[in-house]
Amino acid sequence: MSQWLAHVIERAAAVDDWLSPVRAEALAKLKEQTWPGRRTEAWRYTSLHAVEDLSLATESSVQAEAPAIAGLDALDLVFVDGRLTTPLADLDLPEGLTIRALTDKSEAAEHVFTKVKPSHHLFGLVNDVLATQGVVIDVAQDAVIERPIRVVNFASDNVESHTRVLVSLGKNAKATVIEHGSGTGHSLNTAFAEYDIANEARLEHYRFALHQGDAIHVGGSHFKLANKSRLNSTLIGYGSQLTRLDVDIIHAGEHAHAKFNNAYLLAPKEHFDLHSTIEHAMPNGTTEENARGIIGDKAKAVFNGRIHIHRDAQKTLAELNNRNLLLSRGAQINTKPELEIYADDVQCAHGATVAEIDEEALYYLLTRGINKQMALVMLNFGFVQELVFDMPNKALADWLQPILKQRFEDMMERS
Amino acid sequence: MLTIKDLHARVEEKTIIKGLNLEIKPGEVHAIMGPNGAGKSTLGYVLSGREGYEVEQGEVTFNGANLLEMEVEERAQAGLFLAFQYPVEIPGVSNMEFMKESVNAMRKARGEDELSSAEFLKKAKAACKQVNLPLDFLKRGVNEGFSGGEKKRNEIMQLIMLEPKLAILDESDSGLDVDALQVVANGVNSQRDGKRSFIVVTHYQRLLDFIEPDYVHILAQGKIVKSGGPELAKEVEASGYAWLGQAQEGEEA
Repeated sequence: MSQWLAHVIERAAAVDDWLSPVRAEALAKLKEQTWPGRRTEAWRYTSLHAVEDLSLATESSVQAEAPAIAGLDALDLVFVDGRLTTPLADLDLPEGLTIRALTDKSEAAEHVFTKVKPSHHLFGLVNDVLATQGVVIDVAQDAVIERPIRVVNFASDNVESHTRVLVSLGKNAKATVIEHGSGTGHSLNTAFAEYDIANEARLEHYRFALHQGDAIHVGGSHFKLANKSRLNSTLIGYGSQLTRLDVDIIHAGEHAHAKFNNAYLLAPKEHFDLHSTIEHAMPNGTTEENARGIIGDKAKAVFNGRIHIHRDAQKTLAELNNRNLLLSRGAQINTKPELEIYADDVQCAHGATVAEIDEEALYYLLTRGINKQMALVMLNFGFVQELVFDMPNKALADWLQPILKQRFEDMMERS
Repeated sequence: MLTIKDLHARVEEKTIIKGLNLEIKPGEVHAIMGPNGAGKSTLGYVLSGREGYEVEQGEVTFNGANLLEMEVEERAQAGLFLAFQYPVEIPGVSNMEFMKESVNAMRKARGEDELSSAEFLKKAKAACKQVNLPLDFLKRGVNEGFSGGEKKRNEIMQLIMLEPKLAILDESDSGLDVDALQVVANGVNSQRDGKRSFIVVTHYQRLLDFIEPDYVHILAQGKIVKSGGPELAKEVEASGYAWLGQAQEGEEA
């Protein structure tokens, strides 16, 4: 047993708010969990050694601003070490959008909290019992919210924090939500988000897990898609000491479409683990997932991509593609495709590769006078940049591109 | 400018070029015509230095230097440009960064200063306009999702941007309608300045109505079997390649 987890359970008993009855259920499940070791499938390649006996402060008075992104006019909701620092009452919200604190009782929160996220995620349960601060974003039926909503999550040195995001998109509503996390100090942050997407609603989603250095970040984004709804999600992750993300996309209605692009760039010695699970529970759904990784020297990436097509999910079209580029012999990727198909009339493709340079593309660049070293940088980075270009929000793409390129060049130099 | 003497080259185990001679002087436009499998594309690949294309015999001098000793990028930096028959799609690299990197590599090789972003953009916009490519194309991935015609025009746009000494156009007309052909030809003609030389590789005479060559060569079975003036192209148009008399072997690489 981990001392840290024992302490979590202790602290959870002291949490008392309007969600307590739901938290109690989560706590009961948490108490049944055993601390993951090498033989725990979901944690096979990711050691939790760094968390086991961790003891950090549980609050701070650090102040931080939302990182500015040129051309992005977002509604920023800022958390610093788990504290919501944005005064929600001061926000100028468009019609059809309601944003509440998790501390305030609301139907939307009740409707979504623990209702989308599967309960088997250990740290999800931790978040269930400890995340007293969070935001509840409620988009009314038919409302089209043009302004992106950005939830900024900053983790500072020596602090443990837990935040929650709950999003409810009404029928035929449309919104963009950005989860923007960062931190470099020795911290532990869990950040879980649940999205309940009603019939014909459209969600554009981004998750930037830009934690670095000694930061430990464990989180998840979980989506439930109703009939004819659409999800376009992009996840960009660094490694940090330990970054572990779980993404679940559940096709709970027919004719839903999910696109999920994710890219991870690991600087030397970083560790990144992404488990994605696509549940096709209903017929006629489509999923397209592209996962791309570049892994620096002595860094370790884990990608587990599961597609589960239930017996009733006929006419499902699901594709998952994972490509990885190792920058040195010391870089490591553990990629595991998992396909479980119980319906007979589906189209499903799943591939995982360790990338090699496209010789024809290289030749093309060389014939334009670009030297080989630069051409390789362009092609290698291009492989991840492709997903950046694919982001529907151009301001975000323009902001990320140079940051990732710089990170990549540093990785090349150090590998 | 370019002298090819008794060139023999092979791809894998198969010899494709079998004793080719060609002399190109500054400002000249040479058309190379021939049936499929004659070795037209192979010639471009060999001259550009593509991996897998092995020279067995012969020599190639480009502006006094031994071309065959140079790396692919060095040949380009020395002023050799190949417009691809099938330009390559590189989805993760934008046309903008590709061209900027390329233009500056060429300028560096010529001992010129690199262009600033503003200077580059101005030049790129003008070149786009010249070949009728929309400006947003600069932000897109290299040739990503382009139609055949757009890809060919992109090659000509690069030709305009890179200002080579010798440009080899490998079937730049294939798959184009007359309007697109006109755009490509106008782009090429705008670069004819009396010093820059061209090798125009084509299967059909059609392109040569728009880009008038000084010399026409017929390439068959790896060597030049006939040379002449523009009238030779018209002859080919009228009679095809059947007069070559022999069955053509192999597929063009």
